[in-house]
Amino acid sequence: MSSSHAHDESAEPQKGPKVLAVSPKNPNVRTIQVVRPENADTTFLAATATGLGITIRHFGKNLLLPRKSVEALGQGGAAAHVRFKNDIETIQYPEEKVQYPERYRGLHRLMLRDDGAVRCVACMCCPTVCPAHCITIVPEESSDPSIEKRPAVFEIDELRCVVCGLCVEACPCDAIRMDTAEHAKPVEERWEAVENKASLMGRGIRSTATQGGEGPTWRDKK
Amino acid sequence: MSESTPAAPSNMVTLTIDGQTVAVPKGTNVLEAARTLGTDISAFCYHPGLSIAACCRQCLVSIEKNPKLQPSCQSAVAEGMVVHTKDPQSTLARKQMLEFTLVNHPIDCPICDKAGECTLQKLYFDHDNANSRVDTPKVHKDKAVDLGPTVVLDQERCILCTRCIRVCDEVAGVHQLEMSQRGDHETLGTAPGAKLDNPYSLNVVDVCPVGALTAKDFRFTMRAWELEATPSICQGCATGCNLEIHHKNERAWRLIPRHNDDVNQYWMCDDGRFTYRDLREERLAVATVGGLPSGWDRALARAGERLAAVLKQSSSLGVVLSATHSNEDNFALAMLAKAWGAGRIFLGARAAVPERADDKLRDADVNPNTAGVNAIAKALGLTLGSGADLEEAVNAGAVHAVVVLGDALNVSEQALARLAEIEVIAIASHERGVVKQAKVALPVAAWAELAGTVTNRKGLVQRMHAAFPPPGQAIPGWEAVVRLAGATGVKFSWTHAREVFKDMTGKVSELSGHTWVREARPLQLRFAGSRG
Repeated sequence: MSSSHAHDESAEPQKGPKVLAVSPKNPNVRTIQVVRPENADTTFLAATATGLGITIRHFGKNLLLPRKSVEALGQGGAAAHVRFKNDIETIQYPEEKVQYPERYRGLHRLMLRDDGAVRCVACMCCPTVCPAHCITIVPEESSDPSIEKRPAVFEIDELRCVVCGLCVEACPCDAIRMDTAEHAKPVEERWEAVENKASLMGRGIRSTATQGGEGPTWRDKK
Repeated sequence: MSESTPAAPSNMVTLTIDGQTVAVPKGTNVLEAARTLGTDISAFCYHPGLSIAACCRQCLVSIEKNPKLQPSCQSAVAEGMVVHTKDPQSTLARKQMLEFTLVNHPIDCPICDKAGECTLQKLYFDHDNANSRVDTPKVHKDKAVDLGPTVVLDQERCILCTRCIRVCDEVAGVHQLEMSQRGDHETLGTAPGAKLDNPYSLNVVDVCPVGALTAKDFRFTMRAWELEATPSICQGCATGCNLEIHHKNERAWRLIPRHNDDVNQYWMCDDGRFTYRDLREERLAVATVGGLPSGWDRALARAGERLAAVLKQSSSLGVVLSATHSNEDNFALAMLAKAWGAGRIFLGARAAVPERADDKLRDADVNPNTAGVNAIAKALGLTLGSGADLEEAVNAGAVHAVVVLGDALNVSEQALARLAEIEVIAIASHERGVVKQAKVALPVAAWAELAGTVTNRKGLVQRMHAAFPPPGQAIPGWEAVVRLAGATGVKFSWTHAREVFKDMTGKVSELSGHTWVREARPLQLRFAGSRG
């Protein structure tokens, strides 16, 4: 282990940020030192000017580019529309919506088994790992002896949630996901932001993950 | 040999473990000898409170001059023995034993109640931490088998260590569990015609190194790693078993025995374990006057007013000490009774249950502190009347007012009805029995919520620690006594249970020499390693 460690460091040319440590398991995982210069200008005048510059540039683009683009293309139609959309900085929400990245963390959902039952086995890993203490689970005994345990109550307070995604990381059976790409809804009362088991399952779909992972497991059908 | 080493007494044996020399008493096994050096040899079937089976082979070590590896739990120490616990041969053997143990274990930790305090889980991370190399299906057995009124068995999780069988045989003294079949089809179950229904049945859950045996009472309620443990003393009977309160969110979730060779070794009875339920039932959380919630100020004013009238003729005042309350509470009230010059002092206690007594841990006296109250009364020169005496005094009209500590009186229904007619001032944690009829009821902390001491049947003074704060307006019992004393013009200077205790050790000879044990910080079970 130690020899490969040394090899990785010597092979890496000494440029870029200073490498403090490299994982012995994966050389791509490393601790680097990030040099942050002292903030000399505490009035932020330069930064303000830069920011204003960006705003003005966007304003100019919004004002001028669409017409120019269409004229430059000289053909109109779909292609012009695409160009128009790509160039302009302002999004006409809610008619027009930004496509979120694939890994955007939206509202939670609870995944389902093939028969539509909740996949969660109330192992309490997500409330344990949750830094905001926003998950409440009350376990109960399942009527199915091969499942044993299931949540009687599963509540997530979306106002408390800090959208860190650790619950999804902690889940051992693909029962909770944050891939809905939905925002937390605006609410008038705080309690309305508490998602219960039914609403979380309402967004859920049947998971294709193998319960217990792949390969022969203790619950293989004989 | 021992003559040549005068430093070691003749009953001590000196041996070398991993290059360190250690002297242990003759008859100790190698595993225990290693533990005295801080070397924890992994083991499943070995339990210090049980006989030795050496069937898990998880504690193999190399002992020089032995041709093969030896189970350290079964090898008695010998003079000059040289043991290696960390050499490649024995380390590999233990790692491979663990791999064999895991062959048929359903790695269902997410739904297993033992997860977080499981010996198998801990040893896996300590020793092996490798992926399974087994590609054949696991042997399937029955899940969620009902063994009796208290315990559920998962046969697949069982690693066949036989600890539970030995607990039933050696602690409870009944053979109710048994292994059947052979090889990897070996299965734990109840003995033919038997149910796991002995009064010590839940000890099998404690000793189970995996999650095969789970308590119905605790199953699926809470994960072990979420709980905190505070040491205390069982209030179920006069034995005073040492226990840990496992609590979370200001609520006790289970009671687990704590090792004490002088009292309960590693064990505890089922009744004692269920006493935690009482901490949330029928609690008196607010001071009441005439059965209605009122608050401390009004309750004390009312009590002071009534007591002032009665104290003009103090022989008609009765005071009831409680065998269910701590020494501090009783000492404070006894001192107050002396200051008042109360005419009659009684002992309030739960009625004895002779059928529950055995020669192990269960006592017929279901009060935790009978010995302590008697010692305090004797030292202060007070004569304690029994429940029958109280009944007689009430019926004869000899007492016009009674100050009662606790809710247990051991009197008949008729006497309770008579008590409702006279002035009863109750200092109690639960609203039941005489407290329901009290003219004034002052709420106090129950045993899991206070710092104090109780004296068990052997005269051992044991310390209870507060696991969580008392509900509502409740305060420690001695403090309620101090407030009540203030309402009648008697001043006590105690500000902490420690000061009451210190005062008490000076006056009560049974307690002299005892020192106040420092408050225990709750231990978070997520850092406690394995249990069982």
